[in-house]
Amino acid sequence: MADKGMDRRDFMKSTAAGFGGFVFLSANEKKPEEVTGETQKKRKFLYRTLGKTGIKLPAINMGVMNSSNPGLVRAALNAGMVLLDTAATYQRGTNETMIGEVIKERPRDSYVIATKAHPPENRSTGLYTKEATEEDYQKRIDTSLKNLGLDYVDIYHHHGVSVRESALYEPVMMALEKAKKAGKIRFIGITTHKNEPEVIQAAIDAKIYDVVQTTYNFKQKHQAEVKEAIAKAAAAGMGVVVMKAMGGVQLQERAEKPVEPVPALKWVLQDPNVHTVVAGFTTFDQMNLDLSVMEDPVLTTSEKAQLQWAALQPGLYCQGCGQCLQQCRRKLPIPDLMRAYMYIYGYRNLSHSQDLLLSLNLPPQVCGDCEECPVKCSIGFDVSRKIRDVVRLRDVPAEFIA
Amino acid sequence: MEKNRAAQKTCFLFFALLLIGLMLGNGASVQASDGKGGTYSFPEMAGWQQSGEIQTFSPGNLYDYIDGAADLYLKYDFQELRVADYINDRKASVTIEIYRHKTPVHAFGMYSQERLNNANYLEVGAQGYSEKGVLNFLVADYYVKMSCVDIGPEEQKVLLAFANKVVENLGGKGSLPSILSSFPREGEWTNTEKFIAREFLGYSFFHSAFTADYELSGKKFKLFVIEGADSNDCRNMIQTYLKQTGNLPPKLEEGRFQLKDPYHGAMDFYWKGNHIWGALDLADESLRSKVLNLFAEGLEKKK
Repeated sequence: MADKGMDRRDFMKSTAAGFGGFVFLSANEKKPEEVTGETQKKRKFLYRTLGKTGIKLPAINMGVMNSSNPGLVRAALNAGMVLLDTAATYQRGTNETMIGEVIKERPRDSYVIATKAHPPENRSTGLYTKEATEEDYQKRIDTSLKNLGLDYVDIYHHHGVSVRESALYEPVMMALEKAKKAGKIRFIGITTHKNEPEVIQAAIDAKIYDVVQTTYNFKQKHQAEVKEAIAKAAAAGMGVVVMKAMGGVQLQERAEKPVEPVPALKWVLQDPNVHTVVAGFTTFDQMNLDLSVMEDPVLTTSEKAQLQWAALQPGLYCQGCGQCLQQCRRKLPIPDLMRAYMYIYGYRNLSHSQDLLLSLNLPPQVCGDCEECPVKCSIGFDVSRKIRDVVRLRDVPAEFIA
Repeated sequence: MEKNRAAQKTCFLFFALLLIGLMLGNGASVQASDGKGGTYSFPEMAGWQQSGEIQTFSPGNLYDYIDGAADLYLKYDFQELRVADYINDRKASVTIEIYRHKTPVHAFGMYSQERLNNANYLEVGAQGYSEKGVLNFLVADYYVKMSCVDIGPEEQKVLLAFANKVVENLGGKGSLPSILSSFPREGEWTNTEKFIAREFLGYSFFHSAFTADYELSGKKFKLFVIEGADSNDCRNMIQTYLKQTGNLPPKLEEGRFQLKDPYHGAMDFYWKGNHIWGALDLADESLRSKVLNLFAEGLEKKK
């Protein structure tokens, strides 16, 4: 059930994803350096150059993380995709091993491999722990090479960076620079899923990163800031790779109205500073859709309308940003209450929802005594209505649920 | 007495209506819960103290914990992750991550995606294995991942002690999916069985499948079995597949199917009842026939 509590105007005002930041490329806007290339099947795809690396790539490539199907990876390469994006952590290294099996049949210059690892970190601060040494990171690079069966990878990303200090962390930068000098990696990259503008700026300042890979999509709350950071990175000569162009599985499958892949991909590609997108498809049909976008990346009027509508839908899941905690006068644990709501309406799991509600030690009267709720949820949830709805479950005897 | 009964009746009606209201409020039907979620506790271990709060992650914020790896967990119907950290006097640490999936098969699926067949396998839960600084295992619908830092030579012993307590707290060891016993043993690489939760072979109409790796007569190949809800479910899958590959016969009946798949090459599979089983990457037809017949016997025995 869509939330109607925050009206359209309020929602647009409260997020950078309002149409102020929701930009469609005009016909006159400067386009990136791009060419239309012909693949072996004579399909005309959009190609762009990955910044100062000089690597020419199709505008959409394969993020392999969700697939253990070598047939799909082969098909992607056969169809004209070039970059395979993986990580040492995807399926604990077996994703790299599977890719290694596929590419060993092919000439080394026919594909581009990007892989990545992140050093041990304190998950709540995003800062690295004492185990994050240069030696530890070198071992991670060597493990990836072994898994892939390669002497070198094209791009090795310092992965999952969420704060400036980590982007500039000396031991990791030293390990990457030494590996580059030793010929184990051609280009140094950095990836970020959180706090992206700060991390991208730090990556520019660090001057060792050739490529940045970032989350960027039409549903992103701080999309305008990410767009600006990407522009700066491109201006600094960095290659820009986008991931989660469709918001990941979360928005593709679990949202009340799943994101349509074609307009979402086209929306990202209209940004001239995006050089390529890694798409995490898992079926041949999805792959073919992605290929079709590269043949015709221009958003149609109806696709624009779809995106505008979808950008306003808050979805079912709390994003855990925690902004509400400061706003609530009664200091209610709102993210936990939203989780309890999700357990009922997302998973139909009443017992789990009740367990959680009872563990929160809520006051007897919840959300009934404020004249007006001061909470402005960053993704537009009508928080007080959801809370009043879900807390009723506390009063239901367990035998009615189990 | 009459008054009590009437009060009980009113009470029942009230709660029933409340529950229906809660569920229908979102257009959902009333369903019983699995009644398991979150009722376990993390173990207590002599010499070790829990450090910090237990962290909980839902499908909405699993990215915050494992970045891009979260997508695959979501495809395996991940429900919740709880994480506890422990430290001892010597500042060594142990982290226990308990991932709960929707069903034991989905938990096995995620576990099977991440295990290496040449790891050091252990008797813990339904199955577990250890590597340096790591011990991972499976218990019913939970996939448990443990890691440690700075424990020293005792590390495997310590991790195993924690693991056994976790198994106990989760209510017993559970078991691997029973259909795995149907796979032919001859030529099978141990611990290569996988559950693909959806879109098997990259086709959205094949919902899920179990696979295992083999090597026989110097040939490496894969066997698979799809367990449909019923015979009709399998018929629908095969019908779509044959239609898509241009092989749909006028009358579709149970039996053997051999065709050329545009992405996977030669395909050879059988359909009987609610099972479809076949071989991938095996060009030798006589070997294919042999292993597929053995597979049929295994499936027959399982019934």
